[in-house]
Amino acid sequence: MILAVVDDSFPAAWIPPYNTLVVAAGVASVGFAAGVVGCFAVLRRRALAGDAAAHATLLGVGLAFLLGGGRRDLPLLLAGALSTAIAALLGLVLIGRWTRTRDDAATAIVLGVSFGAGITLLSGISARGIPGSAGLEQFLLGHTAGLTAADATILGVMSLLAVGIVALFLKESTLVAFDPLFAAASGWPVTLIDYALVVLVAVMVVVGLPAAGAVLVTALVVIPPVTARQWTDSVGVMLPLAGIFGLVAALSGVAVSSAVPRMPTGPLVVIAASILLTISLLIAPRRGGLARWLQARRTVAAWADGRLLEVALRLDSDGPFTREQLLSWAPGVAADSAFKRLVRSAALEPVVTRAGTDAWRLAVWGRELAAERSRRVAAWTEVLEAAREDARGHLTIDVPSPEAILGAARMKAIRESAAAERGAGVARAGQPWQPGQPGGGAGG
Amino acid sequence: MTMSTTSAGLEFHDVTVAYGRRPVLWNVDLTVPGACLFGIIGPNGAGKSTLLKAALGLVPLAGGEVRILGAPLEQVRARVGYVPQRESVDWDFPVTVTDVVLMGTYARLGWLRRPGPRERSLAAECLDRVGLADVADRQIGRLSGGQQQRVFLARALAQQADVYFLDEPMAGVDARSQERIFRVLAELRAEGRLVVMVHHDLRSAGDWFDAVALIDMRLVAAGPVAEVLTPENLRRTYAGRLDLLDEIGRAVAEGGRTP
Repeated sequence: MILAVVDDSFPAAWIPPYNTLVVAAGVASVGFAAGVVGCFAVLRRRALAGDAAAHATLLGVGLAFLLGGGRRDLPLLLAGALSTAIAALLGLVLIGRWTRTRDDAATAIVLGVSFGAGITLLSGISARGIPGSAGLEQFLLGHTAGLTAADATILGVMSLLAVGIVALFLKESTLVAFDPLFAAASGWPVTLIDYALVVLVAVMVVVGLPAAGAVLVTALVVIPPVTARQWTDSVGVMLPLAGIFGLVAALSGVAVSSAVPRMPTGPLVVIAASILLTISLLIAPRRGGLARWLQARRTVAAWADGRLLEVALRLDSDGPFTREQLLSWAPGVAADSAFKRLVRSAALEPVVTRAGTDAWRLAVWGRELAAERSRRVAAWTEVLEAAREDARGHLTIDVPSPEAILGAARMKAIRESAAAERGAGVARAGQPWQPGQPGGGAGG
Repeated sequence: MTMSTTSAGLEFHDVTVAYGRRPVLWNVDLTVPGACLFGIIGPNGAGKSTLLKAALGLVPLAGGEVRILGAPLEQVRARVGYVPQRESVDWDFPVTVTDVVLMGTYARLGWLRRPGPRERSLAAECLDRVGLADVADRQIGRLSGGQQQRVFLARALAQQADVYFLDEPMAGVDARSQERIFRVLAELRAEGRLVVMVHHDLRSAGDWFDAVALIDMRLVAAGPVAEVLTPENLRRTYAGRLDLLDEIGRAVAEGGRTP
């Protein structure tokens, strides 16, 4: 039971105490909502604005503490945090609109200034030893141990409200995040929706303060969406998935920190989130590093195989050829392993046959394969010359049949216009390959 | 220069647009009749896209006014369709082809209402019309440039508009997609709709458009292709780019369809 770990003063209890349960539920919904709301911050490329808002929260916490006469009342402090977070976002908008400062510089300025002011204020408060100020620095890195059930309920309810708003306006938010120009042209109030989303991010940053702290709470908003994006191509799936990742990160961070005395929760939440992220970046299908690496290897191998075949066809017309000859005409990183694959083929559907210790001939099947590839390469070269956009749109490195992709009629037209251009006496690269011309031909 | 019309589809009256202090469009006065295929042509940075954006209310006008179907934009917004430049969005965005086409129905649905079976069948119909029915469920990043452009066109079709604005729909697009896009646009015209399209390739202009406007910050000329694309007008539009001009001159003289 994860929940039992949350409060280590009750290690043997089967049912954790009420307070622990409520705090865990509150933190879980904060993590979930941060992930969901964060999706649009990430998709709309507003992640850094969220970070500026997060750093501005400290100033609000300090101000609210002073205004409230030194009470450590969480709702009051969070209200203060929210107001300075929104003020920071407003500052960003104003700097962007009225000065020629670029977005990233404006973000850095707002973040730095508001964080500096916040730290100064909090240090001043704690230096004066104002009673009740003891726990304020916990907003810097997050600390959930002091949360009461009432506090956690407020956090949880606000989180669920934020999720509800995103779910309600999913259609509108997706539209604006994907294509604001089209949205504006069809009459949607893009600026309003944009601001609403940014304010929602600010709310989540504030609600996430007790769990992750001002410095790190952005990670809770940004990392789970990026993690989720690795696994899906659909916004509808990405949102709940990011929520689940955020929930897991928040809960495990809180659980571990409660087991270790005086450990702030923020760093642990971030570590948990980044473990999920690292795994996803590596092993996610298609978008993962591993899948991409394999794909890159396959690409290189397929190209090397094809080049080797082409060269073999030309060498074969002069009789048996050696490995050395073959590789010298088809240089490249993957040529050696391509040659091994070629030889290995001798057993099943022979592409090459052995004519001596290091003497090879193309088999009938190999000759057919090679001729077809040469034909395709030559045809695509013509497409590149006469109809560049067609080639750009459809040519892939596995050299598919151009007729199958562009259609026979279109290919005929391209051939004719390429022939006409050649007829005009324009000298071109990509002449038929001649022996004694290393790396020549279309693929060189 | 105004063309004689019975009912104007689109009117620009002394439209001036500035980015900061720098004017991008300078007193453009242009009337486009209804139900035709209209090309906006000019060199890079001539303000072609800005002219479309001015019509769509996407850039503030420094002066002048735009009327669509005889009314200000706010009154006819629901009858206006838009195909932005393909580069204006992130194609890695986690949505499918169908999702994007459905966005064309959002304005009609209004706040909170989600697309239902009727919208879905409309989206399927629009995708079929641009020849993309077989990639309906694919993520949009896994399409060729020409297919992406056709997705945008399908989304505009789903808007069921009477006036369509297209920003360089033929840029970086393969021949098959160009053919398809053009056929759909010709159908729209045949249905009595107005299609206004920014276009960069002079040589194909004669094949596609009923009428064109030559723009280089100011309006150089507007009217039927044969009257507008004259060497003199082209020289005034593309001043200083003589190498291009010879080519254009040949293309205009041949007058035939160039692939």
